[in-house]
Amino acid sequence: MNLLKLDKATIKFGGLIAVNEVSFEINKGDLFGLIGPNGAGKTTCFNLITGVYKPTSGQISFDGRDITGTPANKIANLGIARTFQNIRLFKSMSVLENVVTAGYLRHKTSMASAFFYLPSAIKENEQLKEEAMKLLEVVDLAHVADVRSCDLAYGMQRRLEIARAMATQPQLLLLDEPAAGMNPQEKEELNAMVKKIRDHHNMTVLLIEHDMRFVMSLCEKIFVLDHGEEICFGPPEKVRNDPKVIAAYLGEAV
Amino acid sequence: MLDLAPHLLAGLEISTLPQQLVTGLLIGTIYALVALGYTMVYGVLKLINFAHGEVFMLGAYAALLISWSLGYTPGNSLEHGSWMALILMLIGAMIVCALIGMIIERLAYRPMRNQARIASLITAIGVSLFLQYGGQIFLLNGTPQNIDPKVSPFYSSDPTVGNIQLTIKGPNKELLAKADQMSSLVDKAKTDYEAELKLEGGDEFNLQPKGKELRDLYRKEQRDLESAKNDANKGAILVNLPKGQVFMLGSVLIIMVGLTWLVMFTRQGRAMRAVSLDFDSASLMGINVNAVVTFTFALGSSLAGAGAMMAATFQSGTKIDTFFGVLPGVKAFVAAVLGGIGNIPGAVLGGILMGLAENLVVWAGYGGYKDAIAFVILIAILLFKPGGLLGSAKVEKV
Amino acid sequence: MKFLATRVLSILAAIGFSFLVQKLAEGQDSFTQQLLVLASLYVTLSVSLNLINGITGQFSIGHAAFYQVGAYAAAYCGTAFYPNWHGSPVVWLLLMLVVGGIVAAIAGFIVGLPSLRLKGDYLAVVTMGFGEIVRIVVQNQKVLGESGGLSVHPHLQQIWVVVLLAILCIALCRNLQITAHGLPFLAVREDEVASAAMGVNVTKTKVIAFVLGSGFAGAAGAAYALQLGAINPDLFRMDQSFIILTMVVLGGTGSVTGSVLAALLLFYIPEKMRDLSDVRLSVLVSILISVGFAVAAVRYVINNVHKPIKVRAAYYAGITAVTAVVITILGKILQLVPAFQTSVEGGKLRLVVFAGVLIVLMLIRPEGIFAHHEFSWDWLLSPLKKKRTKLPGVSA
Ligand SMILES: Nc1ncnc2c1ncn2[C@@H]1O[C@H](COP(=O)(O)OP(=O)(O)OP(=O)(O)O)[C@@H](O)[C@H]1O
Ligand SMILES: [Mg+2]
Repeated sequence: MNLLKLDKATIKFGGLIAVNEVSFEINKGDLFGLIGPNGAGKTTCFNLITGVYKPTSGQISFDGRDITGTPANKIANLGIARTFQNIRLFKSMSVLENVVTAGYLRHKTSMASAFFYLPSAIKENEQLKEEAMKLLEVVDLAHVADVRSCDLAYGMQRRLEIARAMATQPQLLLLDEPAAGMNPQEKEELNAMVKKIRDHHNMTVLLIEHDMRFVMSLCEKIFVLDHGEEICFGPPEKVRNDPKVIAAYLGEAV
Repeated sequence: MLDLAPHLLAGLEISTLPQQLVTGLLIGTIYALVALGYTMVYGVLKLINFAHGEVFMLGAYAALLISWSLGYTPGNSLEHGSWMALILMLIGAMIVCALIGMIIERLAYRPMRNQARIASLITAIGVSLFLQYGGQIFLLNGTPQNIDPKVSPFYSSDPTVGNIQLTIKGPNKELLAKADQMSSLVDKAKTDYEAELKLEGGDEFNLQPKGKELRDLYRKEQRDLESAKNDANKGAILVNLPKGQVFMLGSVLIIMVGLTWLVMFTRQGRAMRAVSLDFDSASLMGINVNAVVTFTFALGSSLAGAGAMMAATFQSGTKIDTFFGVLPGVKAFVAAVLGGIGNIPGAVLGGILMGLAENLVVWAGYGGYKDAIAFVILIAILLFKPGGLLGSAKVEKV
Repeated sequence: MKFLATRVLSILAAIGFSFLVQKLAEGQDSFTQQLLVLASLYVTLSVSLNLINGITGQFSIGHAAFYQVGAYAAAYCGTAFYPNWHGSPVVWLLLMLVVGGIVAAIAGFIVGLPSLRLKGDYLAVVTMGFGEIVRIVVQNQKVLGESGGLSVHPHLQQIWVVVLLAILCIALCRNLQITAHGLPFLAVREDEVASAAMGVNVTKTKVIAFVLGSGFAGAAGAAYALQLGAINPDLFRMDQSFIILTMVVLGGTGSVTGSVLAALLLFYIPEKMRDLSDVRLSVLVSILISVGFAVAAVRYVINNVHKPIKVRAAYYAGITAVTAVVITILGKILQLVPAFQTSVEGGKLRLVVFAGVLIVLMLIRPEGIFAHHEFSWDWLLSPLKKKRTKLPGVSA
């Protein structure tokens, strides 16, 4: 069964149709790529899926459940986590705290237990920290756990975003241009990391990326958007040779 | 449990409504002037200039001191003033305020520009308190003073002279004529009574029976006349417009037209709008942002100065002390937010609405709540239109 | 077991401390006692506002409203129900703290709701407006004594209660901050969209902050009413809110210890000024001028001198010394000018000095005394340690 399904999802901003009747399905364990020229509506798709915006029309369902118009924090609860294109870390918090915050979902103790600093809250606190440290190791940030997140280098901030999203223990992980601003070697490492996340952490991955080589080598299925509409869908080989895609990227008429 | 509605529907006097609306409009224009200062500064710096109310206060002091230097000191025996005096006071207050605004910006706000917004806000509060309480030491020892109303050329000791009276609906003529006849009766009763009083030795509290009788007659005639007059005036709708306030309204209109021209059609105005759209990009485009900010403060503060001069001169019985700016400041600020802060027409609209609302509340008999209504309206509107009336709430792009 | 022992010990220590303060205060004059009470109340108020403003990042500038709601709740209950109360007055006092806290928390809930739609300055105005509305409505209510206010029964001076309240407030906020439960509040302050995407219920978090913060302010208000014996709306004007807000920002938004320190400082200075005798105008003016230049000099050092802390400390000491000398000399010179020979009542200077200190501190340390930090010996000593620990793997 599919994990995520968009059914004719549409959103308008005033006169602009940013996403127009887009439909696709993602299965469990997919490494799914979403590409398209600048302003195609990719990030807006993410915003629809994660509940930042409510679609004007159409339906989105996750794990067999309709999540159209569900508030963002509930969607995170259901198991969708994301990173942001323009990095949105909790700037003044430490790297570790960023990740622990995302683990908040899995708090079992009540807030009152924190107020009175009960053993259960202390224990849970330690547990969350331990789990967060493990995730930081996955993205190779354990050595900077106590640094303020806004003091990190750019590539590290992107990796921290991934760790933070993973801390919610999602089934579906949305990565918005994770390789942006990275050098070739960092991209190489990121490529391996994303594969590892999918294989060892059992997460389905949907990612947006402009670097074609990166996407083609990583994703098994690729969905191409232009002007908010689907122009192509299929495995990398198909997309690579599709005249519409080439035209969209090179800006020619077909 | 709450006494919110003591007067509810228990006799709203329709005939006084137009007067209240006009008064509200006049006060509203002053709020609008002050609100413009808040909104312009907010536009360029995204800073709530809490000291703006104190600039207003200092403007009133400037006008007061100028009027004194023209000879209108307390207890003077001058005749009524001239246009020149008014205009001197107006321009003087505007210049003083512009300077003060610039100094405050340079000394207190510019050093804070790259800091967290809340830090500059606290500095603004600090400046505001400093001026309020420091003023008590340096400004006439903080003793409340008022500008002698005689400084205005329209002044007359009889409050009914020198007003423009608009008659929306006149009094009942027949009844009025009847009342006129009665007044001669009253006069006669009065002379009778006074003559008798003299005869009996002039002690009002120790009258002979005859004196008492005459006195009661006189009082009855007087009461009858009052009620006859009331009957005649029932349903009459009159609006009094003191000429000074007409002058004020005219000046405000001129200032606003000038401001619109300045902001929309001059180079300086264009720079201001650019800075308010995007501070950093504007500076990258070669606009001297510091100059623009200074100019904005000077302009906004001079408007507060104009407002202060008018409020202090034409609202009879206004006392100036160092807290004179607190309430107008807060209300003008609310007016600016109401209209959509950063939006110039919004500030004018907000100010006028605020003035009207306040006077409507007084008219409806809830004078005690006059100072709260501003906030009630504000909260109600923000809940439905979070960006204010003419502003648009920014949607954050994710 | 160890946990239980430390917990019991710390609770006992807190109660013990409160009673110690009470015992020490009993020997003092009533002014000192009043001072202690107010200082503790301000600590409670600023720490509770810090929860809303500093930790959760919601721009609330109407905290006095909740303080007032709590005070009036206690005063009203005292008038209406205390005559039929047969328990001990101290129990009544504690009960009133709870009542004041709950009523104010309900008010906080009502204000917290619009905060979901409003941000930044708009929220600030609404909270300020709420404060004014509360005050004006109270002023017009017969049952609440209109502008004359209410006298409060019973009138109880129990210093330990307010000290304990302050400690409780500090402890709860600190506990929240050191467990993961505090992180969502910080996250909401940093980035609402990202917090929601990480599963934080932004609405709930904000409302909780408002409810808790105003609840404590309400409890403080109730304590205030009973300590003071009579209250009126003028005690809760807008400047009261500003003073509390200032304490929070001056201490360092988000820092509980900072709030405590700033509350004590900002409270102590103006109170001390009350017994100041007359000051010559010449001295005042020379202080004004010299401090202005000193601030400029300090700012210059902060921004342009990048030398070790010891060197900078020497600079600051130098500036202070020069300022002191200049004040003396300039004062003497100005004394020759007739206009400056008058003197000013010391009492009039209270709030001027308050405002001046505020501006100066903001100009030289805008992030607040403690910035985001909490007090710890390590932090205090860190500038003295020779080498800063380098961040591994972080490029500049
Ligand atoms: N909140 C919004 N209000 C108005 N227009 C918006 C909003 N969000 C996005 N848009 C518009 O929708 C269109 C698609 O934007 P989107 O960010 O989804 O593009 P994208 O495919 O992610 O591009 P890029 O590769 O540059 O990130 C753009 O034209 C953008 O300006
Ligand atoms: Mg995008």
